[in-house]
Amino acid sequence: MTPDNFDQLSLLVVEDSVADVFLVKEAIKEEGLKCRIEVADDGEEAIRILDSVDSGSQGPPSLLLVDLNVPRHDGTQVLERLRRSPRCKGTPVVMMSTSDTPAERKRAFDLGVTEYFCKPSSLAEFMELGKLVRRLLEEEHGAAA
Amino acid sequence: MSTILSQPSKPEPQLSDQDLIQDLVARLAEAEETIRAIYSGEVDAVVVNNPSGPKVYTLEGADHPYRVMVEHMHEGTVTLGRDHLILYANPQFSKLMDMPSDLTTGTRFDHFLQPADARRLNTAIEAAVAHGYGMAELELHTPARTIIPVRLSITPLDVAGMQNLCVLVSDLREQRRNEAIFKEERLSRLILEQAGEAIVVIDPAGIIVRRSESATQLARRPVLMGPFDEVFPLTVAGEAFDTARILAAARTGAPISGVEVEMARPDEDASALLMSACPLSSDGNELLGCVITLTDITGRKRAEEALASQAQELERSNSDLRQFAYSASHDLREPLRQLAVFSELLQVRYQDKLTGDAGVLIQHAVDSAHRMEGLLKDLLSYTQAADAPQGAAASTDANEVFRKTIAVFDARIAECSAHVDCDPLPVLAVHEVHLTQLFQNLIGNSLKYRSQEPVRIHISAERMDGMWKLAVADNGIGIDPPYQRQVFGLFQRLHGGGKYSGSGIGLAICQKIVQRYGGRIWVESELGRGSRFLFTLPGEKA
Repeated sequence: MTPDNFDQLSLLVVEDSVADVFLVKEAIKEEGLKCRIEVADDGEEAIRILDSVDSGSQGPPSLLLVDLNVPRHDGTQVLERLRRSPRCKGTPVVMMSTSDTPAERKRAFDLGVTEYFCKPSSLAEFMELGKLVRRLLEEEHGAAA
Repeated sequence: MSTILSQPSKPEPQLSDQDLIQDLVARLAEAEETIRAIYSGEVDAVVVNNPSGPKVYTLEGADHPYRVMVEHMHEGTVTLGRDHLILYANPQFSKLMDMPSDLTTGTRFDHFLQPADARRLNTAIEAAVAHGYGMAELELHTPARTIIPVRLSITPLDVAGMQNLCVLVSDLREQRRNEAIFKEERLSRLILEQAGEAIVVIDPAGIIVRRSESATQLARRPVLMGPFDEVFPLTVAGEAFDTARILAAARTGAPISGVEVEMARPDEDASALLMSACPLSSDGNELLGCVITLTDITGRKRAEEALASQAQELERSNSDLRQFAYSASHDLREPLRQLAVFSELLQVRYQDKLTGDAGVLIQHAVDSAHRMEGLLKDLLSYTQAADAPQGAAASTDANEVFRKTIAVFDARIAECSAHVDCDPLPVLAVHEVHLTQLFQNLIGNSLKYRSQEPVRIHISAERMDGMWKLAVADNGIGIDPPYQRQVFGLFQRLHGGGKYSGSGIGLAICQKIVQRYGGRIWVESELGRGSRFLFTLPGEKA
């Protein structure tokens, strides 16, 4: 049975903004989740981590939180690499973005992401990200005991 | 020397036989004398006074050759007696007047003249009598009403003490025709020479045989009798466009119309010309040459190029500006959003430790960040407002857009018991998203800026200058005339103090959309008496 803090699981956050990484971690902590959080602050680092997972050097992440607008290989390339990964191709992905246009949403879902999270400018709304992560983890790994 | 005998008609008195015999003998003697005179050539003609008038009978005589000459000469000739009476007319004159010769003789010459010409004849006769020669140019009117311009050369003719006149009648019709042709030819030449266009006529050998002054100016050298290809070295896309080509086209009978050619110039840029060539053929379809027209469009082309380049520059600059506005509004939102969230985080996390008005100050920072974020969001909408959605400009049924807009405002309409309706609206050649934005902004404003009265909003449409003019009228608070133009400016707001929400972007977006379709938007309003927003948009193409 999975404990309700999912402390056995790990998340991969692909985000170059230190402030947003801080807020993502806050939201997850606020939700009472204790999963391990690995951060890649550019696309190259994210792809290196996926390579490392595929080679068996580290375990696969349970969820990816990706900002498409990251330096060196943007998020699109990270997602393409993810879909080719034998161990991670089914991993759910939350795309995080500042803009909230229908075109941007369509682009995200065309890339096969699971959820779209528009980074809000209110604290309460940002903390909703924690609830979203919990829901996805529960869907993937079963509800906490 | 010629003589004309006058033979008076004698009365026939009642005579005795003796007297009758004597009279017959005398008349016989007279007749014999007349015959002798005629035979000897002393007389040329006999004038017989008939009751119908005098009649001249001409006779062959010693001056027979002259008579033959007069009879057959090309000019008309008449002999006039007293009172312009025609005593003799040669066959050519009778022919000219289209009259039998026996009727011509005995007619008064001025019978063929209009009064003004009769006076001219008299003047010429007076000159002839005084100086031995008179001349007049006038018009003869034939019995068949033909008008013949003639020159009369008049000389006095003194025969046996009778003052007669010899009149030579020269038909001027041929001369007048030639004069008219000459005049026309001269006019044609002048038209060609003075034409504003450069026009040249080439012969089948490609030699310039006629030219306008403008052609000489265009060539900047004498062009007449020069080979066209040397005078005007024309090319199209670097390939010679010479007379061989022009004449070949002419031989097929096809005109060359408005071909853009270049003419090389020594020491300067080539001139851009518009060339047309039209074949010149004889009645028998033989090619006589070509009329070539050259219009210098160098100036026009340069102006067009400059204009195109300016338009391109403007488009680039606009695009840069759009890109800048987009990036500014998009990228600035990122740190601003973080500023707002972190301010809140600070407030929440350290609430217990904040003293004095620190909490209020943080709240102001949060509010400001949110407001600025809103402005940037609006700026972003504004920069994208008139961007064309994917696909061709559609036909949009305004009735349908109205219905959908009302559905969006359903709750607010119910909340203020508003009555919103419209006349039948047209189908417009605009993107649905744009018409939706227009209706949402205008109807939204009408709901927002309402007066104490129950809200009434009415939308109507009518044709105006080939466009559709739509009006959104309400019974709201209205706009003071001095501010009516200002309301369409970016971030222009007429009400402060948080009385009405909004950043003042809606009408600016409306204006941008309407202008994108070549329309305009304006407002008719009085403070406290409602507003009527009007805008024009193109209708669906028939």
